[in-house]
Amino acid sequence: MGLLQNLRARFCDDYCDRCKTQAPVAGQRLFALPMTVGNYCSHKDASYYLRNLHPVSGKADIPAGYYACNAIRYRCADCGRQFVKLSIFLPVREQEKFEEALLFREGELNEMVP
Amino acid sequence: MQTTEKIKKINVPYLLLYILVPLALIVGCGVLYATVFKKGAMAPILSMAPTLLAALWWVGGGRLLFKMKQKKVAAALKQRGFVPNSTFNGKNCHVVVDAQHGEIALLFFWNPFQCAVLPANRITRVWVDDGATGSGIMRGSSRVSFLFTLDNVTIRVNTFTSNKRWNMDSNYILTGISKADMMANVLKEAAKVEH
Repeated sequence: MGLLQNLRARFCDDYCDRCKTQAPVAGQRLFALPMTVGNYCSHKDASYYLRNLHPVSGKADIPAGYYACNAIRYRCADCGRQFVKLSIFLPVREQEKFEEALLFREGELNEMVP
Repeated sequence: MQTTEKIKKINVPYLLLYILVPLALIVGCGVLYATVFKKGAMAPILSMAPTLLAALWWVGGGRLLFKMKQKKVAAALKQRGFVPNSTFNGKNCHVVVDAQHGEIALLFFWNPFQCAVLPANRITRVWVDDGATGSGIMRGSSRVSFLFTLDNVTIRVNTFTSNKRWNMDSNYILTGISKADMMANVLKEAAKVEH
């Protein structure tokens, strides 16, 4: 395994950390997060997101001042392993204020993203 | 805490006292220093202390008083059955909205002794001012606020202020716009509640 591939697997979110190859996107879904602007609190626990993420059809469904979460499910083409990346952001009119990205590699949130 | 149905943004005696009392203290102590206590232990106290106290008051005294009054307002509102669904602490105005009963409570920085509690359906207009000026990459702002007209009085509540100009894509501006949009929506919803 080359050094470059190891580094990519370490620092690129869409790389499978077992096979060290890029995993294609298998599913994507937008959620509303019940946290308002100015009151954002980081949560690393998957159970928090299982309890609090509400699926929405688009950014227009999220009330002003509420956070949104874009969940992307990756599936490794080699080993079939799946993992989910959450990108949390604040939708502000046509723009987005990025807050943080979280990676759940153990399949905790796989069923949330069809 | 006194509550009223009339909006008074500035309490003129308080404003004058806020500015003039520390000035009078500086001048008074200066006169005493120059005439009576020119030498001795009192001299440095009379020359330095009033200026420091005045600076402290102007920098933080008013804010501290405003914060203390906000707590008293919360207690007074709770006592009268006001449900604080949304609260916004602006530097110039404290806004509390009861979306259930369609009421709005306002406490102004320059009138911290009187809290105005009014039916929100008297709000005639709500809008957001992002303060954007310039064009292209020079487009920016130093203030974002939400405004509303209540009983023909326009109230501006700042959600972001800065002494420098920020690009419209900056996190500060986006946060300010988001807060202003959220409060504008809350006010619009509260204004729809029938009494």
